[in-house]
Amino acid sequence: MDWFPTVTQLLFVLFGGMALGCAVAMVAQRNPLYSAISLVGVFVSLACLYVLLQAPFIAAIQVIVYAGAIMVLVIFVIMLLNVEEEARRPLRLTYLIPVGVLLAAVLVGEAAFMLQLGSGSARITPVAPAASDVGLTASIGTGMFTKYLLPFEVTSVLILMALVGAITLARQGRTPLLAAPGAPTEETPVLTTGRGQPAITPGDTAATGRAFAREQIEREESAAAAPAARAREAEERGEG
Amino acid sequence: MIPLTWYLALSAVLFTIGVVGVIIKRNAIQMFMCIELMLNAVNLTFVAFSSYFGDVTGQLFVFIVMTVAAAEAAVGLGIIIAIFRNRESLDVDDASLLRL
Repeated sequence: MDWFPTVTQLLFVLFGGMALGCAVAMVAQRNPLYSAISLVGVFVSLACLYVLLQAPFIAAIQVIVYAGAIMVLVIFVIMLLNVEEEARRPLRLTYLIPVGVLLAAVLVGEAAFMLQLGSGSARITPVAPAASDVGLTASIGTGMFTKYLLPFEVTSVLILMALVGAITLARQGRTPLLAAPGAPTEETPVLTTGRGQPAITPGDTAATGRAFAREQIEREESAAAAPAARAREAEERGEG
Repeated sequence: MIPLTWYLALSAVLFTIGVVGVIIKRNAIQMFMCIELMLNAVNLTFVAFSSYFGDVTGQLFVFIVMTVAAAEAAVGLGIIIAIFRNRESLDVDDASLLRL
């Protein structure tokens, strides 16, 4: 019964086949939303393979981070932008197709040769995963916070940079960011003529700006002079 | 028991599908998803080696790769939205010029 596949091998073939099928479907689809759903299938199949490899922590964060967070973001963007289906276009550079087939055959042969070489080599002796505690959360946490503390901290800096970058990129126009707490809030300088409409319209030049400023100054001066003049008149009437 | 080479072969094929997708796709979001597929293929290799050699380092690498992928998703989708806002299209052929 040596040829008979074990349960593990059957599961590998099942989930590996699912991953391959979903990957091919993802590339073949023209609708981006169907591609995204296929990619979720790839992620879930890979999570199952991680469980087979006795890495439950990686399997869990594969589902949470990839299938949960990243794909939700991607699908959100697809929905937001209302992406149309990819248009069919005529093939270009068709005379290069034989060259591509040839290079693909070379690549496949090379990969098969390397895999054959690797499996026969005595230098590396991979042992099949026994019931070990390598993939458990505790051992990963121990490694992450002792030997690999610096990469972990660098990762947090990377995430901060990505956060700032994403906000900067996706910001609409040039709306001002939130002011720092305690800082004087800056009013956006919009000149108005006092009747509500903006004083400066597109096409205005420096000359019109100067004329507008002179008009403003004159109006302010007359407004400031008016109460004083009224008071003087009242005095004169009182004396008379 | 499954030989290690099975996992390596599966990972290589998935990576190649991702590369082909990046080359033949013209929609920016689909190219982006193909890049995610390539990252996942590499992750499978990391986890397979880590598990077969009984060393936890590979799985820590996978954690960091996932973090980079999350950062890439945030920034990349921000860039895609910015491109769409400027050009009303996600076709990368329409974005072949740096100027508008």
